[in-house]
Amino acid sequence: MKSFLALGGLLAFTLACEPLDQNVATAICQEATPLNASYSKAQPIQQLLDRYTRAGIPGVAVAVYTPQEGYWAGASGYANLETKTPMQVCHLQYGQSVAKTYTAVAILKLAEAGKIDLNAPISRYLSPGIRAKITDADKITVRMLLTHTSGIADYTDNAEFVASLLQNPLKSYTSEELLAYVAKQPLLFPSGSYSRYANTNYLLLALIADQVQGDHARLIQQSILEPLGLQQTFYHNSATYLNQPTLVDSYFDRFGNGKLENITQMQRVNVGSMNGDDGIIASPTDYVKFLRGLNEGQLVSAQSLKEMTTWVNDRDGQPAYGMGLEYARLSGHVGYGHGGAGIGAGCGLYYFPARQLYVFIGINLGVLTGGPYVEKAGNLSDELIDLLLK
Amino acid sequence: MKKTLFIFIWLAALHPSVSRAQRNGSELLPAGRMSWPLMVSVQFHSLALPVGNIRPAFANPGLALGTEYRYNRRGNLLQSIQAGYYRNRYAGDGLFIVTQAGYRPHFGPVYADLKAGVGWNYTFHPNTTLVLKEGQWQPAGRTGKGLLMVPLGLSIGYNGPSLVAPFVGYQFFALAGYNPSVPVVPNQLLQVGAHIHFNY
Repeated sequence: MKSFLALGGLLAFTLACEPLDQNVATAICQEATPLNASYSKAQPIQQLLDRYTRAGIPGVAVAVYTPQEGYWAGASGYANLETKTPMQVCHLQYGQSVAKTYTAVAILKLAEAGKIDLNAPISRYLSPGIRAKITDADKITVRMLLTHTSGIADYTDNAEFVASLLQNPLKSYTSEELLAYVAKQPLLFPSGSYSRYANTNYLLLALIADQVQGDHARLIQQSILEPLGLQQTFYHNSATYLNQPTLVDSYFDRFGNGKLENITQMQRVNVGSMNGDDGIIASPTDYVKFLRGLNEGQLVSAQSLKEMTTWVNDRDGQPAYGMGLEYARLSGHVGYGHGGAGIGAGCGLYYFPARQLYVFIGINLGVLTGGPYVEKAGNLSDELIDLLLK
Repeated sequence: MKKTLFIFIWLAALHPSVSRAQRNGSELLPAGRMSWPLMVSVQFHSLALPVGNIRPAFANPGLALGTEYRYNRRGNLLQSIQAGYYRNRYAGDGLFIVTQAGYRPHFGPVYADLKAGVGWNYTFHPNTTLVLKEGQWQPAGRTGKGLLMVPLGLSIGYNGPSLVAPFVGYQFFALAGYNPSVPVVPNQLLQVGAHIHFNY
């Protein structure tokens, strides 16, 4: 009898553990950038955002800029569903892979300063320990990393990494640990033959900048954020930089069945682990100001910008990627910028030259995995671009 | 090691008939010949690739109960059924029922199991969830999702004179239908337990 009681006790113990609560309060905030209250498309955009948040997008924030109408921003839904904190245009959004554009700019600044040769092999700039992990490091150039033509595998595609991430959501990975998932793996294709997106390329660029300049985050701070006055942009500027009170909470549809988990702590640890390929947070208007600053020549030379917007084809022969910039054809309009997809957020930052239109959209729902609301997030983004480019 | 020893002693004391068997072990049929033993195991779970990092598993304990039917007199072809629960704070708890066909070669009193089968696993969310109902986000507890479970297992056991036959096992299982874009996730269970044969 005692044994059965002990068995029952053990079972009760396993069942009684507390669930993991990752909710972090999000503070309300005040947008510092003057916005055009009479923006011509304000009403239909706001209606669009409201329609999608009513349909299950937790929260969304948008910023747009045109020379004719200046800045406008809108938001809908919640920055924190549990506390019913409304999403505001000033809330900090995860940039996810948009960080690659910042990294590319930083690398081109180093190239302009003569500290990096884009056509030199990466083995010249990497530490011996890192170099040894990369196949053909003496043949892959910095340019190939920038254009995703290196052939290096993406560590985020590694099944062991994905399993580790799900099992250890609060584990912080070092760059070396992330690289270990693809260490010494054969290249996926001959270097330089076409562009295939891989986060590992930009992680390596961050390590190159660290090696050349000391700290790539400081380089981004000094060469991008400070010249443009981006006070609502944060990138590895301190160990606790993601503990910003106005950073949105993050939600994840784990099973793709419309039940959302708050995974704010996991998202923060995950984003904080990534360097070069991710890791940035900013207000929507700050993202737009960054892309404007880049296009308007405030960050890199005209020659460097030309290099960034010289598109390399993908395997199918379609223009795909420049340097830190994705080629986009949306609603029949050519644009460029970068998308971002994370386990707890999704975003896009694009410029459409024909309309001189800049747009940023940030959603606090993970879009890396599938689900009904993730699908809606994609539809929202498409409809927004349609509406803006009409 | 002390813990494992304790579990074995505790399991041995589970049933009065077992205690009797320990006293009169030589008079009983060898454990390996009998169907429908009670299988009790303590298990440790992690979401990981096969033979991946097993260290995190020890933070995620669970229990399983089952039995098995032996198809032949030699007892080397069998069908098992097992139900269990494991706690996993970070990847989500799991409640499962699984049946596996197995091959069990014997090497004296030592036996090995190679098993494969199919099952159902209800994986809970590790966190409380929110659902949109009538335009409002409302708490929905940790209810999860039922997933197809495809296990493949290896174990080694000992059939001594006692009616309690201890074993250690490694169970890899894939869960299908986790997410539309992550259709399969790998999992592993380390199991320590015993087949308890009753003196009918």
